[in-house]
Amino acid sequence: MKAWIVAGSIAGAISFGVYGQKITPIVNPPVRIVGLEAQDSHAAASLLGQFRTSVSAFLYLRSDLYVHGGVEMRPMTKDEERRGRQDAKESHDEEVKLDGEEPIVTVIPSEREDFRGIFGDVEREVASYKPMEGHHHESPTKSLPLFSLMTWADPQFIDGWTSGAQIILWEGKKDSAEVAVKFLQRGLDQNPESIDILSEMAFCYLRSSTNPEHPGKQYDKALPYLERAMKIGLDNLKSLSQVEGESLKENFRRLCICYRELKMFVQLKETSEQGLQIFGDDASLRKAHTEAVLALNK
Amino acid sequence: MKFTSYKPLARSVVLESLRRKDLWVVAILGFLIILCAGTLGFFGFDGLEIFAKDLAVTVLGLFSTIIAILTSCRLIPDEIKNRTLYPLLARPITRFDLLVGKLIGSVAVTWISFLLLCFLTAIALTVFHVHPSVLMLQYMFAKMIGLVVVCALSMTLSIYLTPNAAATMAFILAFGTPMIARGLIMSATSVGPFGKFVYAVINGALPQVQLFDIGGRAVYPNWAPVPLWVIGFLVAYGMTYSFAMLGAGWLKFRKQAI
Repeated sequence: MKAWIVAGSIAGAISFGVYGQKITPIVNPPVRIVGLEAQDSHAAASLLGQFRTSVSAFLYLRSDLYVHGGVEMRPMTKDEERRGRQDAKESHDEEVKLDGEEPIVTVIPSEREDFRGIFGDVEREVASYKPMEGHHHESPTKSLPLFSLMTWADPQFIDGWTSGAQIILWEGKKDSAEVAVKFLQRGLDQNPESIDILSEMAFCYLRSSTNPEHPGKQYDKALPYLERAMKIGLDNLKSLSQVEGESLKENFRRLCICYRELKMFVQLKETSEQGLQIFGDDASLRKAHTEAVLALNK
Repeated sequence: MKFTSYKPLARSVVLESLRRKDLWVVAILGFLIILCAGTLGFFGFDGLEIFAKDLAVTVLGLFSTIIAILTSCRLIPDEIKNRTLYPLLARPITRFDLLVGKLIGSVAVTWISFLLLCFLTAIALTVFHVHPSVLMLQYMFAKMIGLVVVCALSMTLSIYLTPNAAATMAFILAFGTPMIARGLIMSATSVGPFGKFVYAVINGALPQVQLFDIGGRAVYPNWAPVPLWVIGFLVAYGMTYSFAMLGAGWLKFRKQAI
């Protein structure tokens, strides 16, 4: 081995480190590319992206474990649903009841459902196991640091930003809306074309605020985010994923509510018409359109 | 059985491990743990105590199992390959004594590595203001018993299989048994009594390493310590299963042409 080869290798490694940030736009694009184009064209983006996505997905799943105090849950199988497992009960903790919870059971089964005898008894004693009957949820705020971590690890993980904001709002503090919007703004800086984040930012102002300085819903503050999200949605209509399409539909509905509450009936009519061109079967948009026409004809 | 022969046999395994600088690997792994914890602390993520503990028990479980398997799988094949088995067997000890001595040695190396990792992890956890608890101590104790099972299983497999195949099988059993058990539990709901009996036999034959993992309770708040009868059961099961493995290994090794 020649000394100059070693020196060259070291210099190469250093320059790779120094100039490596030039690949950042490739590895970490400001907008997630939907589909397989990124993986097809950039191997590094694929490998590093997959790693980051795995980390964020792992942390996202972990957050669910935090809410259940370490008790591992799983959705019931079709067979279990058909048989109607007796140990599959919802949370009895009314204060911390999570919306949209599917029928779930603990990964470690109850004594009644376990064929293992003493092994099962011991596992229920050593593992973080609680029976489903009357199980309770920990405060979701305990998992908030995980959302900070997962969005730091993978800034393009949209669900991390939006779910994190939901948890901040769930805290119900006086300044929750402002804190959530600030959190989402960081996400928006990384994902400027995200309909979900913009829609979530609007939602922060559309929920009933407990802040005495500006109580109730702040339609005027939500409006710019909704309008921007709609514009992005319409500009990229053909490339929207199914989830983004649903977000766009929800965005149209919220936008119509804002215009109606702010008595902006011309905009309400235009927006509901635009929405109906895309989501023709949506009853909310149809109702908003009727309201706008009636208001303008008065 | 010559109990006096176990100490020098085990000592030789520990010295061999030191000579091969295995513990350096442990120290480097521990340094990486501290570095990762320090990095997270540096970036100022508050409220990550649960995550830090979660990561710590995962890393401890993973690394200690890897060390246990890799240490145990090579003991007997190395002795045969290096021809150092002949002078050992020339002494007044039986082949069973040799296996026991070697197993004690591999357990000692694994325990030293595990305790070293625990010490380094404890330092790393102080970054997140996590303090030791009864459950943490129970976790360590149960894990150490579980490592005996892993060592015995790996050493036995190395008698029947080549070292690489034994290591692979040991990894599959050590990390895959919890998954296999979950699969059996889920599918047991749709089988009859005889099927459940067959499942129970299969489950009983597999090393129940997941029973020695109290990590879930140690990580999350508001869990009571594990009852003493359970700890007693774990010790009894660990010893029984390890002895059974040792016996299975001896059945082959006693007649093995060297």
